[in-house]
Amino acid sequence: MSNPSEKTKSDDKDTELIRAINSGRQDLFYELVKRYEKSLYNFGLRMCDNPSDAEDMVQDTFLNVFKYLEGFRYETQFRNWLYRVATSACLKKKRRSKYAPDRELSLEAFLPEDESAVSVDLPRWASQPLEQVLDGELNGIIRQALLELPEKYRLVIVLRDVEGFTTQETSEILGLTPTNIKVRLHRARLFLREALKTYYETD
Amino acid sequence: MKPTDPHHSHENCLALFERLSEYIDRELDAPACKDIEAHIKACKPCQVCLDTLKKTVDFCKNLERHQVPETFSMKLKDTISELVRKKSD
Repeated sequence: MSNPSEKTKSDDKDTELIRAINSGRQDLFYELVKRYEKSLYNFGLRMCDNPSDAEDMVQDTFLNVFKYLEGFRYETQFRNWLYRVATSACLKKKRRSKYAPDRELSLEAFLPEDESAVSVDLPRWASQPLEQVLDGELNGIIRQALLELPEKYRLVIVLRDVEGFTTQETSEILGLTPTNIKVRLHRARLFLREALKTYYETD
Repeated sequence: MKPTDPHHSHENCLALFERLSEYIDRELDAPACKDIEAHIKACKPCQVCLDTLKKTVDFCKNLERHQVPETFSMKLKDTISELVRKKSD
């Protein structure tokens, strides 16, 4: 997650660039693309079933940003606005998703029935060093589990935990209340944890 | 948890379970955090529950980031250049 001062610096730089673009320097628009194409592409990979959908999403997002940039309100952080546009693009792509039918995740489904059902030792998967996520099979398991999450939960966990937006920012991007974001995030994390647990325990 | 602890009940575990993410994200006030910490200290299953959830979050935060495929990046650049050109015509 980026630290707040880095975030502020990039916001300032974005605002400066957008002002220039909106005052006639449209040739600078590609600078904006360069700043965010990698982040958006990775966001697309987490949200879509395949790289080609992720590419479409990135392109659609920048086309919309180009179209609507003149109406950008400078009190909003550009990155938040960009992800709102990207989220809409993702939702349009979603329809064909074979992984994640819409459904509710209930908290009860993740509750341990009683204490004896809960391990008192840290399981092996949770003892793995973080570095292993970077190139190991764990990366693939998490990616798969994210895709199996119903989209409304996936969006929240990807924005919060993968992209590093705060609860407040995520609620603005998705147009949901902070409480709703917290509820969905908790269930999404529990779902993911369950997927990791199941994978390693049946290994 | 040992039944000899008078403060412990499975209900407490369930109440804590609901708030674990907020605790991890430091979104709870100080008294709520203190309650959770006291409970966790005395309840091994809840401690494991918290640790595994924390680890899940850490994994998400450290997921591998891919490079944008060069062919797509070039295509995007061309599309944007074309748009800019049309707009300035």
